[in-house]
Amino acid sequence: MIKMSETMLEVVNLRKYFPIMGGVLLRQVSAIHAVDGVTFDVKMGETLGLVGESGCGKTTLARVALRLIRPTAGTVRYMGHDIFGASERKMRKLRLEMAMIFQNPYGSLNPRMTIADSVGEPMDIHSLAKGAEKEKRIMELMEKVGLAPFHIYRYPHEFSGGQKQRIGIARALAGNPKLLVADEPVSSLDVSVRAQILNLLKDLQEEFGFTYLYISHDLSTVKHMCDRVAVMYLGKLVELGLVEEVYSNPVHPYTEALMSAIPVPGRKVKDRIILKGSVPTPIDPPPGCRFNPRCRYSEPGCAKEDPEFIEVRKGHFVACHLKK
Amino acid sequence: MSESLLNVNDLKTYYYLAEGVVKAVDRVNLKIGYGEALGLVGESGCGKSTLGFSVMRLIRHPGRIVGGEVFFEGEDLLKKSEAEMRNIRGGRIAMIFQNPMSSMNPVYTVENQIAEAIKLHQEIPKDGIKGKVVDILDKVGIPSPEERMKDYPHEYSGGMLQRAMIAMALSCNPELLIADEPTTNLDVTIQAQILELMKILRKEFGASILLIGHDLGVISELSDKVAVMYAGKVVEYSDLTGVFEKTKHPYTQALFESVPRLDVETERLHIIRGTVPRLINPPSGCRFHPRCDHAMKICSEQEPPLFKIGKKHEVACFLYR
Repeated sequence: MIKMSETMLEVVNLRKYFPIMGGVLLRQVSAIHAVDGVTFDVKMGETLGLVGESGCGKTTLARVALRLIRPTAGTVRYMGHDIFGASERKMRKLRLEMAMIFQNPYGSLNPRMTIADSVGEPMDIHSLAKGAEKEKRIMELMEKVGLAPFHIYRYPHEFSGGQKQRIGIARALAGNPKLLVADEPVSSLDVSVRAQILNLLKDLQEEFGFTYLYISHDLSTVKHMCDRVAVMYLGKLVELGLVEEVYSNPVHPYTEALMSAIPVPGRKVKDRIILKGSVPTPIDPPPGCRFNPRCRYSEPGCAKEDPEFIEVRKGHFVACHLKK
Repeated sequence: MSESLLNVNDLKTYYYLAEGVVKAVDRVNLKIGYGEALGLVGESGCGKSTLGFSVMRLIRHPGRIVGGEVFFEGEDLLKKSEAEMRNIRGGRIAMIFQNPMSSMNPVYTVENQIAEAIKLHQEIPKDGIKGKVVDILDKVGIPSPEERMKDYPHEYSGGMLQRAMIAMALSCNPELLIADEPTTNLDVTIQAQILELMKILRKEFGASILLIGHDLGVISELSDKVAVMYAGKVVEYSDLTGVFEKTKHPYTQALFESVPRLDVETERLHIIRGTVPRLINPPSGCRFHPRCDHAMKICSEQEPPLFKIGKKHEVACFLYR
């Protein structure tokens, strides 16, 4: 086990607004507040889960954190390096250490490239290996993710969804990364195939000591995979803490409702907290605490001020006015 | 007269493809009693949706229902004419689908579409239809239904649209509601809302439900009985506690162990070796035997029938001969 004290990725007050253009002159009329002031860190060797409902900004957060898109404000430091201030050249080096596993294995592999080309592409870009050495390395990667090496000259359509996701993982591993961002890696897969991919991710972590940022809306798999979990609602983090703590003792009313909404196999859950309405639009989020219009404990003060993200217990952060 | 509302006997639905015949539903038997909710679980491609569509007789070319009987209140639906079937569909049997966005017509308002269903199946004076639409939308929890019913489907959120779909399905007081993965596309908190709604409506309307899905949690929430399907066959059938607590079939057991659960700590998930077989050429005997840890000689030679092992528990496995 690696010591989990050193910080690998540090995200400070990150914001990403997408402009909405309108009017005759196509000027910016408003903005989607996709990520709106998010602060957290990922420790070396851990798996941090990022959960939230669709549209809450979790994918945007991941993309900004890897500088796939530029932020509106805020900083992200990877091993102490400010990645938004880094030169293209330096970023290229840093990128080698960060990789992403995507949700849709069907869409993230080029259908006209063989598996060898897809998995080998990062090696070409970063000049890691050539010729026979590259081929050997690709075959090794295929074995690591549980696929027969002779598959490498085939095309994506010849594989099943689970196999494609394995190829996606092999590709992510091509540059010997340290940090892997997995964005809903199993949500498009069938139940029994899901188990295979989850086990694979765990095995790889044990073997290589990867750090994962695991993004998902499926709370059961997050509990299975992660050490800590961050709960996101409408562009902001509402709770962050150890998985055991957040799941057994959720502090934020949104987390509480989210946990109670999960159906349990073989049981009919009584006294479920049912939230009213649906998530408001991030174009014009509610003032104050963004959850207040749907919160069952909401008080008049909640709509006035934005709650701070404070530590209620050691390592357990919550953004709620009522839990000070 | 039969004691159950729906009685599916030896149903066979095959798809005739160039590469061969896909036996998507192969001699399946099912019963749904009056007011009962049956959950049909299985992985994608096991034939659960085909079964649902077969009951509605909505199988399209190259698929065909090749054998069996589907008794609905004692009458065989497979012997009905297309005109009679059209009357039953949406009237006495209604269906809700996985993706509400693509099952509503984008160029008509929600009001229009629900009114159409009512006009087709019920004899209500023209000026009464509007009130009925408002009424049913209100029942499924659409806020200010008089205004929102004038909206087009794209103006609704996913959860709202699924509510509207449920409203449409219930507008003609069906006796059987077939729900094919009704919450799969929704977020957890919205899913909880829809499940709660379906529970309330079930009490109010008293319709029987065939709930098709892969999420064991969702199935448990709404069903009284559960049928587990694998490769075109029902392998286990029992009431909720029978299937979940006294799980018997090796496939059901393996499936349950491969899902991470909130209430059980597991370091590693169970993996069912191999992959789901192609239904063009399914394995001989028990279709699960190549992947089964308990396979015996007989498993590859003979197809196991459903063995009755409890009052309400049936398993298609030779371990329980």
